Amino acid sequence: MRKYWVIYKANLMSNLQYITNIVANSIGYFMHVFIFIQVWNYVYNDTSNLIHGYNKSQMIWYVIITEIICCCVAGRSLVREICNEVRSGNVAYNINKPYSYIGYLLFNNLGKSTIRVVVLAFIGFSLGLLYLQTIPEITIIKGLIVLLACILAITINLLFLIFIGLLAFIMEDSNPLYWLYSKMILILGTLLPIEFFPEFLQPIITFSPIYAISYGPAKLFIEFDYNMAIITILSQIAYVLISLGLCKLVYMKGVKKLNVNGG
Amino acid sequence: MLTEVKNQLKITSLSIKYAIMREMLNKGTFIMKVIFMLLNDASFIVQWIILYSIKSDIGGYTFEQILLLWGFAAGTFGITRFLFKNAFSLSDHITNGKLDCYLVQPKNVLLSIITGESDTEALGDIIYAYILLFISGVTLGKLLLFTVLLIAGSIITINFAIILGSLSFWFGRSDYIADTGNGLITNFATYPDGIFSGIPKALMYSLVPIGFIIYIPVKLISEFNLLYTIVILTVTIITTILAFIIFYKGLKKYSSSNLMMSKI
Repeated sequence: MRKYWVIYKANLMSNLQYITNIVANSIGYFMHVFIFIQVWNYVYNDTSNLIHGYNKSQMIWYVIITEIICCCVAGRSLVREICNEVRSGNVAYNINKPYSYIGYLLFNNLGKSTIRVVVLAFIGFSLGLLYLQTIPEITIIKGLIVLLACILAITINLLFLIFIGLLAFIMEDSNPLYWLYSKMILILGTLLPIEFFPEFLQPIITFSPIYAISYGPAKLFIEFDYNMAIITILSQIAYVLISLGLCKLVYMKGVKKLNVNGG
Repeated sequence: MLTEVKNQLKITSLSIKYAIMREMLNKGTFIMKVIFMLLNDASFIVQWIILYSIKSDIGGYTFEQILLLWGFAAGTFGITRFLFKNAFSLSDHITNGKLDCYLVQPKNVLLSIITGESDTEALGDIIYAYILLFISGVTLGKLLLFTVLLIAGSIITINFAIILGSLSFWFGRSDYIADTGNGLITNFATYPDGIFSGIPKALMYSLVPIGFIIYIPVKLISEFNLLYTIVILTVTIITTILAFIIFYKGLKKYSSSNLMMSKI
């Protein structure tokens, strides 16, 4: 585990050198949150209105949290990078290294995401406090549980993205799968809570990774409940194992038929 | 003069044709990408169906107008990325000295650069734009007007990208300014202007011309207005002239970086 900690720390330190770039790249997050503040401001005529059990403040904080989880991962470039490594055969250089390729990708990207999370959280919380002038009441213990749920959510998201990238072993270009995956996470989890969807869809979303990646951590932040915290963390552990298993399966099957084109 | 224009158009269309052919080498992947892009765009409908189940109008737009809004957003995005992808990486071309291979060519430098690459999956966006127009209710007049406004909006978008990218001639690494400006158009274009007010709304009809690319065209399809149409065409012409002037003024400041590149 120590070697992965070194990979994580090395990437964290290297990304700290480019903090201005990270801040500049966070403008997209600022725009998303700003737009959704305007949308919910228009939809909620009255601040005391409840839609599907949520008031305006809760809806805006929900989007702020889910967008942090979603935007802190550079999904598009991660999938493209893995795809290119698989297609070019460069992935072969990682086979003889003293670490797992999947573990390397995971901790390398967790390092990148850590600084992004800090920057995005600063922007998101500033926007939320500036606009709403209120924050959901949360104790330190509950806050730490939410933080753990967020870390697990980012880990699951990264593992599913690595899985999609590794699918390039089977299909020539797995980037289109990323477009669909990211939109599913965005629409079914990031922008709207599960309660907003038709009843027949709700159980499907609840048992999907969307609950573990978006809904669970954000719902805990806006309305903490210990029972829900246990369910969320358990579902997240299950999805970490499932996504890790899927990555290993595709990688093990893929490297067997790897052709290295000279070089 | 006319022969000159004709020759330039021929060269530009050939440049686009070869850029597309390069991307379409693998037909299976190309078709899959287009289909997935269509599904990617279509998934956003879910969000709007849910929002309209809560409130009957969002930002003063009916559901049909939201479909048109998405039609214009997807259409302009698709046309610009399919035909003029390099306009969005102009800043990178300038700062990394990648313009050299275009400078030695006998025809218009700017047109050669922006037509040099193509995002073939963006064809899915263009198809989606017309699907939405048909769903929202189409007549021959609407189809023609939609196409004209889509082309005008795409030209304004390209001009905006060229102006932002050209800033790199003066300010060096300013790609994040160009990316932010282009991102503003993409992000705001899919939400009705009625939800915004004050400075953001004023910006949409001035510095960041989303109003002329998306919002006014949606209103024109719903209710034709000759004055607004003239305004859009005037903005298209003015921004085109501005883009060419700014790019060629900046080009005088361009310096090579000894980067070896070939343009075939």
